Amino acid sequence: MKENNNRLGWLFTSPYLLYSIVFFFIPLIWSFYLSFTNWDLIAPDFQFVGFDNFAKALQSPSVHAAFWVTYKFMLVFVPLVSVMALIVSVLVHSLPKYKSLFLVGFFLPYLSSGVVSSLIVKGFLSYNSPLNMSLRKIGIRIDWLGTSWSALFIVGLIMAWKFTGYYALILTASLESIDHEVYEAAAIDGVNSKQRFWRITLPLLYPGFYTTLILAFGVTFGIFTEVYQLTGGGPNFATNTWQMEIFSQAFKNLQAGYASAVALLASIATFVSIYIIRKLLEKWGARNGWV
Amino acid sequence: MVGSKDHRRTRLILLYSLASVLLFVMVYPYLYMVLNSFADWGQVDRKLIPTSYSLKSYSWLFTGGESGVSRPWLGAFLNSVIVSIGSTVLMMLFAVMVAYALSKLRFRGRDTVNNFILFHMFFPSIILLIPSFLIIQKLGWYDTYWALIIPKGMSLWAIFMYTNFFKAVPTVFIEAAKLDGAKDFQILYRIMIPMSKSITSVIFLFLLMERWTELLWDMIMVRSDNMLTLNVLLSQMFGPYGTYPGPLYAGSVLLSLPIIILFIIFGKNFQQGMQVSLK
Repeated sequence: MKENNNRLGWLFTSPYLLYSIVFFFIPLIWSFYLSFTNWDLIAPDFQFVGFDNFAKALQSPSVHAAFWVTYKFMLVFVPLVSVMALIVSVLVHSLPKYKSLFLVGFFLPYLSSGVVSSLIVKGFLSYNSPLNMSLRKIGIRIDWLGTSWSALFIVGLIMAWKFTGYYALILTASLESIDHEVYEAAAIDGVNSKQRFWRITLPLLYPGFYTTLILAFGVTFGIFTEVYQLTGGGPNFATNTWQMEIFSQAFKNLQAGYASAVALLASIATFVSIYIIRKLLEKWGARNGWV
Repeated sequence: MVGSKDHRRTRLILLYSLASVLLFVMVYPYLYMVLNSFADWGQVDRKLIPTSYSLKSYSWLFTGGESGVSRPWLGAFLNSVIVSIGSTVLMMLFAVMVAYALSKLRFRGRDTVNNFILFHMFFPSIILLIPSFLIIQKLGWYDTYWALIIPKGMSLWAIFMYTNFFKAVPTVFIEAAKLDGAKDFQILYRIMIPMSKSITSVIFLFLLMERWTELLWDMIMVRSDNMLTLNVLLSQMFGPYGTYPGPLYAGSVLLSLPIIILFIIFGKNFQQGMQVSLK
C-alpha cells in the first residue's frame, strides 16, 4: 500500500516536477550565467565580461529609475486601491439587497486587458477629447502622459481601477464573516459608530486587509502592459518599471547579457522589498493588537 | 417611530444611489469603449456620448479599409481562443492532479514538493524571462502554438487553491471508493472534481482571464502575423492606427466581450465559489 502511494505520488506530481526543471531550474541557472556575458540575444557566440554588466547596471540612470519607480507606484497605487476597495466593500456590505449584483459589477474592471484599458485612457486623454477640451476652456493645459507626475498617477489610477473590485470582494468576504453578535454586544455597551468602525470593524477586517495589501504591493513589482502601451517608460524614465527596463534592454536594445544582470538585481530588490513589507505589516497588525 | 422609519428609508435611498453612481463610474470606461466602437469616425474620442453611429469601425476590422493595412483580426481572435483554452485546460488538469497528490496521497518527499511550490510561487519570475525565451528557441517552439500554450500551462496558484480545497474533502469518501475498487484517477474525476465545482469555476475564470490578457510573453514568443494573439495585435496597432481610433475600439470590444460573457454565464457559481475560496 505504502509502496504503491510513493509511486503514485510522484506520478501525479510529475507534470509539475518536469515543468519546474524546464521552466524554473534551467532558466534560473542560465540567467546567472548570462548575466556575466555580453550576449546579444541573436549571435551564437559571446564573451565573458565578469562583473561589467552589474557595474554598468548600478550606474545606469534607467536602472536607478526602475528601482525608484516601483516605490513611487506603491505610493500612488496602494493607498488609492485600499481606500477605494474599503469604501466599496463597506458600502456594498451595508446594502440589504442586491449585494452580489453590485459586487459582480465592481469586479468587471478586473477582467479587462491592460491593452484595452490603456487604449481607452489614451483616447480619453487625447488632445481633442471632451476632458481636455473643457479643461482648455478654463485655461488648463496638461500633457497627461508627457508629464512625469501625471503619467505616474494615471498608470497608478488604471491599476487601482482594475483591482478595486477584486480587493473589495476579498474585504466583503471578511466583513460577512464578522459575527453580528459582536456588533449587538457593542451597541448594548453604548459604542458609537466611529468607535465601532475603528475598534471593531477594522481589527476584524485585518486578515482580509492584510491579504489585499500583500497582493497590492506585489502588483507594483509586475507593472508592464499599461506602461508599455501608454508611456514606453517615459517621460524621462518617470514610469520605467523593472519589467519595462528588462524588456527594453533585452528585446529592443538586444543586450540580453546586460538585461539578465538587471533582472537579477530586480529580483533581489523585489524579494527583499516584499520581505520587509510583510514584516512591517505583521508588526503593524501586532502592535495594534489585530493579529 | 414613523420618523425613524422615514429616516431609515432616506438612508437606504442614499446608500443605493451612492453605490449606483460609484458603479457607473467604474463601468464607464467599458461604456466609453462600446459607444466609441459604434461612433461615427468624426466623433470618436470627441464626445462623452456620441450622437451619430455607424458600423464602419467593425467593417474596417475585417476589410482593412482604404488604408490597405489589412490585419488578421479574425485569425488573431482564433489564436487567442486556441492558446487560452489550451493553456487553461492544461493548468486545470495539472493543478487537479498535483493537488490530489499533495493533499490525499502519502508519499516520501511530499512536504518537500509542497514547500518548494510555495517558494516557487513567491519567486520573482522576471529573472526567468530571458532564458525562457532561449529555451523556447532551443526546443524549436519559437513562433509556434507550443511556445504560447505549454510554458503557460502550469499555475502554481491553482495548485495551491486546489490543495487547500481537497484537504477539506473527508478521506472517508476516498477510502469507501477504494474499497469499491476505484483507481486513483477514478477517484479524482468521480469524487474530487465534482465536489469542487464551486471553486473550479472561479479558478477556471481567473486562469482563462489571465491567459487571455497576457501581453509580454505572447509578444516575445511570436514573430509571424498569423501567430499573433488578439491582445498582441491590438497592442501593435496602437501606433499605426493612432489616426483611426475607431477600429481599435472595435478590436477592444472583440477582446473584452468573450470574457465578460463567460463571466456572466459563470457569474452565479462565481459568487459562491469566491466565498468558498476566500475562507
